[in-house]
Amino acid sequence: MKARQNGRGSNDAPHVCEGDGLSGRFLAKLVLLNVRASETRYGMTVVAARSSEWMRPVTSQEPASAIIEIDRVSQVFQTSARKDHLALSDISLTIEEGAFVSILGPSGCGKSTLLYIVGGFVSPTSGMAKIKGHAITGPGPDRGPVFQEFALFPWKTVLGNVMYGPRQQGVRAAEAEAQSRALIEMVGLKGYENFYPKELSGGMKQRVALARTLAYHPEVLLMDEPFGALDAHTRTRLQNDLLTIWERDRKTVLFVTHSVDEAVFLSDKVIMMSKSPGRIRQVIDIDLPRPRRRNELLLDPRYQKYVVDIERMFDDSDEAGPAL
Amino acid sequence: MTSSAAMAKRAAPVFACIGLLAMWQVASLVLKNDSFPTAIEAIRAVPSILGDKESLINIFASLRRMATGFGAAMLVSIPLGLLMGRSAAVAAFFNPLLMVIYPVPKAALMPIIMLWLGVGDLTKTLVIFLGVSLPVIYHSFQGAKAVQEKMLWSGAAMGLSPLQRLVRIVLPAALPEILTGCRTGLVLALITMITSEMIARQSGAGNILFNALDMGQYDTVFAMIIIVGAMGICLDAIFERVRARLVRWSEPQFDIPLSFS
Ligand SMILES: Nc1ncnc2c1ncn2[C@@H]1O[C@H](COP(=O)(O)OP(=O)(O)OP(=O)(O)O)[C@@H](O)[C@H]1O
Ligand SMILES: [Mg+2]
Repeated sequence: MKARQNGRGSNDAPHVCEGDGLSGRFLAKLVLLNVRASETRYGMTVVAARSSEWMRPVTSQEPASAIIEIDRVSQVFQTSARKDHLALSDISLTIEEGAFVSILGPSGCGKSTLLYIVGGFVSPTSGMAKIKGHAITGPGPDRGPVFQEFALFPWKTVLGNVMYGPRQQGVRAAEAEAQSRALIEMVGLKGYENFYPKELSGGMKQRVALARTLAYHPEVLLMDEPFGALDAHTRTRLQNDLLTIWERDRKTVLFVTHSVDEAVFLSDKVIMMSKSPGRIRQVIDIDLPRPRRRNELLLDPRYQKYVVDIERMFDDSDEAGPAL
Repeated sequence: MTSSAAMAKRAAPVFACIGLLAMWQVASLVLKNDSFPTAIEAIRAVPSILGDKESLINIFASLRRMATGFGAAMLVSIPLGLLMGRSAAVAAFFNPLLMVIYPVPKAALMPIIMLWLGVGDLTKTLVIFLGVSLPVIYHSFQGAKAVQEKMLWSGAAMGLSPLQRLVRIVLPAALPEILTGCRTGLVLALITMITSEMIARQSGAGNILFNALDMGQYDTVFAMIIIVGAMGICLDAIFERVRARLVRWSEPQFDIPLSFS
């Protein structure tokens, strides 16, 4: 698998983490918690499979397998003026298991809509999306969304929000709480367990939203401009934190963003979309070593070239704009 | 907020009551009308009513009907309002119906209901139920409609069924709005309770009041007004405390209007 081969020798050794909210120890603890949870939930026979899946070494040689397939998806919206608006046109896309894929494009090109279709929140006008070969017909715990609007449950505390998913999945209260506390610590919110969302800043809410989704172990993370509303500093921190988490357990991530830097920094693959109608313009493989460290990467000419090239492509599309 | 300012805030309603009673006292002394006893005379008549077993039975009967009507209204109206807020089809079905019922004074329906159900508890409870229902339905509807769609999506991704989403996401998310409706409903319950007893006289606080009026016992009439008013204020204050506690997570602390907390 491409992403894994890229992770040259980073294997199982705990990384020294950049994100100040994170520590390898907590992550390791979390992995243990998860294994223990699956033991009690599924009995011994299943444990082996699950825990090995979770701990699978980064260098595993199995062939890259598609986890999400989007097949000729189009989406038409009825606008209030009763005109049909083609938001997505004939999108086909395959996402490999464990890959970090960013969707980049101008505002209104249908990035969110595409993410909602994969999430099962919106059903496409034509075409179909599949996960692991099964048609997506609705939302499910295998796909965890993180919305730009946070969408936290305001009547629940930070802990209550994070525990919600595991509790819904039938994890016992004590276990769910232990796991959730570890996750909250991991996203750097230790001490805020009993705060209500209204008492948190935007960046903190975004961390809670991420922890809440990670808590129920979705196989695919669907993130819609999760850091869009944050200040530059918090944004950088959260990008580092997200990378650290991802480099640990290699979930498949579909990440919508406006920012070219962010897309190149985080992704294995960047999907560039163009506007009206929303189409895939280009798919760019980002061949940069992992684990990625911000300070090294910013100086890396290959990183700089990716950013400049992608930005240039956007400028070209702006010039070609009226013709579309 | 300093503690003396907090004290002043707590004491404000008490001062308002005293001020009102003082104005009443002065007005009745100036007007010297037989049918307008002074505040002091009226207050003096309160213990004799509350000490009388017959009166107490009447007042409790009133309160029981009010509680039943109010409780039944909440049980029906909250789910209905929430469903209307989340389903366009349910809203389209009930909206015209409610629009017709809304402006009709519920007490005006009493003669018809009496004709069908008699003058007993059932009729009065039903009228209270009708009086309470509309604001509760309306506020539940508004609350449910305003629930952020992404919140429901988050729940769906966690595996909540549509019914679970209604109970475990829409209901708590709309709770502040629902409780605002319930608070209005509680005051309306008291009003319709008295009105219903005025129309179908048989028992209850309203019955004591209007019997006294017929017999020209004006101090008893005004004493009953004080008792009913005090009941209303107490119920509202208790409800407000419960409400504030339930939705602490939602509200900025200082803008609770009309509260005695
Ligand atoms: N529910 C809807 N009804 C009608 N039109 C919609 C709806 N949702 C999206 N659209 C339209 O579809 C297009 C794509 O919307 P979408 O939200 O997916 O864009 P986006 O790429 O996520 O934009 P942004 O970067 O600003 O978030 C827009 O033109 C929008 O007006
Ligand atoms: Mg969007």
